[in-house]
Amino acid sequence: MRASFVFGEVATGLRRNVTMTVAMILTTAISLGLLGGGLLVVRTIDRMEQDYYQRVETVVYLSADISANDPNCTSSTCATLRGQLESTPGVQSVIFESRQAAFARFQRIFQGQPELLQLARPEALPASLRVQLADPARFPSIAKAFTGRPGVDRVTDQGEYLRQLFRALNGLRNATFVVALIQALAALLLISNTIQLSAFTRRTEVGVMRLTGASRWYTQLPFLLEAVVAGVVGAVLAIVGLVIGKVAFVDRVLAGVFEAAIVPRLGYADIFSVAPILIVVGAVVAALTGYLTLRLYVRI
Amino acid sequence: MIRLEHVSKSYRTSTRPALDDVTVEVEKGEFAFLIGPSGSGKSTLLRLLLREELPSKGDVYVADLNVSKLSQRRIPQLRQRVGCVFQDFRLLGNKTVSENVAFALEVIGKPRHTIRKVVPEVLELVGLEGKADRMPHELSGGEQQRVAIARAFVNRPLVLLADEPTGNLDRDISHEIMLLLERINRTGTTVLMATHDHAIVDSMRRRVVELHLGQVVRDESRGVYGVGR
Ligand SMILES: Nc1ncnc2c1ncn2[C@@H]1O[C@H](COP(=O)(O)OP(=O)(O)OP(=O)(O)O)[C@@H](O)[C@H]1O
Ligand SMILES: [Mg+2]
Repeated sequence: MRASFVFGEVATGLRRNVTMTVAMILTTAISLGLLGGGLLVVRTIDRMEQDYYQRVETVVYLSADISANDPNCTSSTCATLRGQLESTPGVQSVIFESRQAAFARFQRIFQGQPELLQLARPEALPASLRVQLADPARFPSIAKAFTGRPGVDRVTDQGEYLRQLFRALNGLRNATFVVALIQALAALLLISNTIQLSAFTRRTEVGVMRLTGASRWYTQLPFLLEAVVAGVVGAVLAIVGLVIGKVAFVDRVLAGVFEAAIVPRLGYADIFSVAPILIVVGAVVAALTGYLTLRLYVRI
Repeated sequence: MIRLEHVSKSYRTSTRPALDDVTVEVEKGEFAFLIGPSGSGKSTLLRLLLREELPSKGDVYVADLNVSKLSQRRIPQLRQRVGCVFQDFRLLGNKTVSENVAFALEVIGKPRHTIRKVVPEVLELVGLEGKADRMPHELSGGEQQRVAIARAFVNRPLVLLADEPTGNLDRDISHEIMLLLERINRTGTTVLMATHDHAIVDSMRRRVVELHLGQVVRDESRGVYGVGR
């Protein structure tokens, strides 16, 4: 088998049906780009789930009175609440956050938005007892036990917000995959069509190959490679698209969110770790499509 | 070299069998014409020899291979031993003369140095030595058929099948093509040629196998096309 000869045939085949080739490559690229986007969302969600649920706290916000007058949790109301929380089963640790500390944290989170900082005053923020649970599922019993107690303003669970956030992100991911799938179907049909067209424009070649005793494998190889080249070029374009998407869109629009460490930053490393997946998927799916097309529609 | 034993072939879409209990043998090195009116089954017989079609009944042997029993994977072995040319040349329009001939070797994986050596040789044999770099559309019909013959012969097949190779050519050019096929036959290659051409058959005085409605109606060793048919 002579590689130069086979690749020459592949190049001729791709050039001869330029418009179809371009359509096939672009559709493949969009499909794989969406797949890659979906995979990146999955990675982000996984990473967020890991470090969020570790950091998740149940927060017992304290009344305005304590917030204003008890910066060290020394008053009996505050100290009692703290003691009771500490002795509740399932509670790992309890940390008091004074109004000043809350304000300092606020300043740190929003340091990128000075206009917000100018508006904010410490008086707007309540002091709180931050409770780390061994098992986040214990939240309802804690909320029930402490809501309405003297000195308690309200009890919140960050976990609830998180579940909502993750529901939204999972929805985003599923939607991306569905669109990727539909787009993939279009890509498959285009690949299949291009191969049929290519086989048709090359029917004399294929006929000569058959009759001179070229093996089935040798006869099919140029067509399969055409498909694989389209798959791989599509994957490379998809990766380039993801990089551009990161720089031009994600990094700008989500800058504040990254800054506040709400969502982990999307790095180039993330994109390059999904890149091989996209290339392999592109090549394998294109090759399979090509193989089946040749089997079903083209006599070789 | 070629043997058909009680071979019948019925196409699914036609009521009459294209070949009906045909038994023929062609010896190694022989030159034989396959004649008969249109639709008598000449092309069908050649297609069976190439395993383009399978017989409905009977056995086909070519160059020691049982063609009708050949597995899909071994079909290339058969076709590498059998060259074929057709009325419509079937050259690749985007390749030069020598590339067309080389193509037949490239697709069966012959090494480059072999190709570089044998292609000019075979072009000389068919009388195209000065035209290796022409494109097919820059050649006359007769020259195009020479290229096709060179391509069929370049891998030195044991058998050369020709289906009306002179069908598109005028008398003088046809005669030259026949001389070329004769030359190829003299190298020891068995040649089986399907044709309608009375003049050629009559002038060559070679073996004639005549088909009529799918049956062998005549088999003469130094025959003519025949009169009255
Ligand atoms: N692929 C096919 N499907 C159905 N019937 C076919 C097919 N090929 C040939 N036939 C029929 O088989 C018979 C023999 O055809 P074949 O092509 O072998 O004749 P031929 O002798 O080569 O004729 P010609 O001299 O016109 O080339 C004809 O009746 C033809 O209609
Ligand atoms: Mg015919």
